[in-house]
Amino acid sequence: MKNLRRITQGLFLLVFIFLFLQTESKGRDELGYPVKIFLDFDPLISITTLLSNHSVAEGFYLSIITIIATLLLGRVFCGWVCPLGTLNNIIGSLKKYNPKTKPLNWHKIKYYILIFLITSSVFTLQLSGILDPLSLLIRSFSVSIYPIFNYSVSAFFDAIYNLNISGLSSISEPVFSVLKKTLLSFQQPFYLQAAFVGGIFIFILGLNLFEKRFWCRYFCPLGALLGILSRFSILKRSVSEGCNSCGACGSVCQGNASPDQKEKWRDAECYYCWNCDDICPQNAVSFGFKGRKASASMDLGRRRVVTSMITGISVLPFLRQNPFLNSGHYKQDLIRPPGSLEEKDFLQKCVKCGECMKVCITNGLQPTFLEAGFEGIWSPILVPRIGYCEYRCTLCGQVCPTGAIKKLDLKEKAKIKIGLAMIDKGRCLPHAHATPCIVCEEVCPTPKKAIWFEKTKVRDRNRKEILIQQPRVDLDLCIGCGICETKCPVVDKPAIYVTSIGESRSKENQVLLK
Amino acid sequence: MKRREFLKLAAAAGLASSGIGRLVNTVEAAQIPDLVVAHGSSPSNITRAAIDTMGGIKKFISRGDIVVVKPNIAWDRLPEHAANTNPEVVATVIQMCFEAGAKKVKVFDRPVNDPRRCYVQSGIGDASKKAGAEVSFVDERKFKEITIKGNALKSWPLYTEILEADKIINIPIAKHHGLSKLTMSMKNWMGVMGGRRSSIHQRIDESLADLGIIIKPTLTILDAVRILTGNGPQGGDIADVKKLDTVIVGVDQVAVDSYGATLFGMKGSDLGYLKIADKMGLGRTDIERLMIKKINI
Ligand code: SF4
Ligand code: SF4
Repeated sequence: MKNLRRITQGLFLLVFIFLFLQTESKGRDELGYPVKIFLDFDPLISITTLLSNHSVAEGFYLSIITIIATLLLGRVFCGWVCPLGTLNNIIGSLKKYNPKTKPLNWHKIKYYILIFLITSSVFTLQLSGILDPLSLLIRSFSVSIYPIFNYSVSAFFDAIYNLNISGLSSISEPVFSVLKKTLLSFQQPFYLQAAFVGGIFIFILGLNLFEKRFWCRYFCPLGALLGILSRFSILKRSVSEGCNSCGACGSVCQGNASPDQKEKWRDAECYYCWNCDDICPQNAVSFGFKGRKASASMDLGRRRVVTSMITGISVLPFLRQNPFLNSGHYKQDLIRPPGSLEEKDFLQKCVKCGECMKVCITNGLQPTFLEAGFEGIWSPILVPRIGYCEYRCTLCGQVCPTGAIKKLDLKEKAKIKIGLAMIDKGRCLPHAHATPCIVCEEVCPTPKKAIWFEKTKVRDRNRKEILIQQPRVDLDLCIGCGICETKCPVVDKPAIYVTSIGESRSKENQVLLK
Repeated sequence: MKRREFLKLAAAAGLASSGIGRLVNTVEAAQIPDLVVAHGSSPSNITRAAIDTMGGIKKFISRGDIVVVKPNIAWDRLPEHAANTNPEVVATVIQMCFEAGAKKVKVFDRPVNDPRRCYVQSGIGDASKKAGAEVSFVDERKFKEITIKGNALKSWPLYTEILEADKIINIPIAKHHGLSKLTMSMKNWMGVMGGRRSSIHQRIDESLADLGIIIKPTLTILDAVRILTGNGPQGGDIADVKKLDTVIVGVDQVAVDSYGATLFGMKGSDLGYLKIADKMGLGRTDIERLMIKKINI
């Protein structure tokens, strides 16, 4: 069973990584693969979205399959499918554990986390993605691990290329080009927060060196959800009379479910890894559909349950202490991807999984830190100085698992404004320095250009008259895509920049009288 | 004697004295026009006919050559938007290069929009690959600072694959531009510039002429199958597109562009960079005095 399980885990991990790598444009406006399917199958995301926004996440029906599967088979998702679980497994297998050290038995924590997340979602907070294993994994890969991997590999091959030792690059370059076509990204991605998000992820993996599947045992809210469902499962582990309490199974149990103590057996903690079955010298353990459940009840303690519920409710006013949400003024740099819902709805739906940031072809979508308040940590914003929104691209809406960013077709997208460009006349070359420059106009993608020129006569220092074209922005036509800001040759602080005002998704954040 | 004929005679004399030239050459040369303007409904056919009228592809491409074909693939637009070179024209030129025995044909550009999208959406990536060319994205490591000693550009990082090619064929599209008025052949070389190339807009005319000092295409094929008359250089509105079903072929890129200007109701000397290039002796804007052959297919 062990080998079968390992193969299955490996396969799911490979599929996960494959789909992750496919979350990248190949030039067409669709990706060709269901890249976010793991998130679609995630019941924690769909349940919390349902509660927080009273809306059905894209993969709602698929996540029901996971629920049904768990009701039938128990937490097989954790033991056989979850890619983060598999990674935890792998890291854990790097270490020999001392069988004498006692596990922490903090199992309950994850139920409190789950209760906290669910309660807060009832009160419209969507925080589940921060700790949901799939969302956490995709975000960490997108924003941090993959860019770092990409950077190291490219730097290595670039070094060989630049050293130019005869012959060496003729070997390395073909290898590099194969890697470029398969594992590496088209261009090196860079993200704000990469070190922070990556640090958390490495910490989570590192916990496995203290205890096997530390995160899964003690913190994972999805595991908690599936654990509760698993108590009703019809696939059950049973132990026959032959058991002589040798304790062999106790040390191999991934979930530390106390398989060696009959009355204390914690069925909700069982990942169905079959390790106990495999190791039992008496062959006393079996999994089957007939057995009866003999297990310890899950006693979370009423007081603690209530405490986590109250915490879930009371964080709300804390996290919502965002003056920008209430002052009638908007944050100018909070430029959301095209098709994003109105900010309140957006925050109720966005699970910060990082899919949109991974797929954005210009690297312009970046995770926030506190720009959108505590509530919006790691949600996407466009940072036009890094990358712009490509006029005929709609990928971010296609990969968003909850619909926080709507799917748009090209016609709809052309009408959506994500902000407005403003010219800084004190820095703009033709305005401030009588120097020709038309880059913003040249790159402006709207069919009738949102940037137009006013031909003006100016004098230079020697009173010589020059005719110069000074750019102006047509506030009606500008869609805020930001390419003008990205490409503005005034490279430090741009002479044209995009702010969120004018965004289609907001009624209030507007300049023009309509 | 007209300047053109004089040049040809001088060239022929040069060939003769080097012992290779034969009289036949001069006779043939005399029939070869300076510019060919081909008109017809099939982009592929007019391209082929125009090159044939210029003396045939073999006159330009030799067996074993490594050829760079440089279309304009700068924008994430479809062929009907007339922002990028017509893919059929590009494919035809590639095929002809192989017919002449070219060893390799390379196609690339350094687009303004996302390269992956530009290559796919323009149709040029697929069409070129089908025709057998090696289509690649620009590799930032392959730019090298090149001394130009021009009026505006003293030196600039240029793409080494262009400099290392045996032959270069430039295939721009004719379209409107907010600063240089029109962009055609000479401006298409911005696509091999590295670094912060957008800053050359500060002295665009001199800079474009300066590029002509370094980059000497073997042949220039101006795509005017569709031209973009406004909101250039990337357009996006079909109403700005005019279908002319024309290609213009020539060796002198200044002359080709000067003819191109007439499609928009201008003269070559209306464009600053052509005027400067003419003065620098990089080519001619006085196309009235050239032999231009017009063909209809
Ligand atoms: S932000 Fe724009 S460019 Fe980026 S993925 Fe979304 S639609 Fe595409
Ligand atoms: S943001 Fe700039 S480039 Fe984009 S539409 Fe507005 S003016 Fe044009």
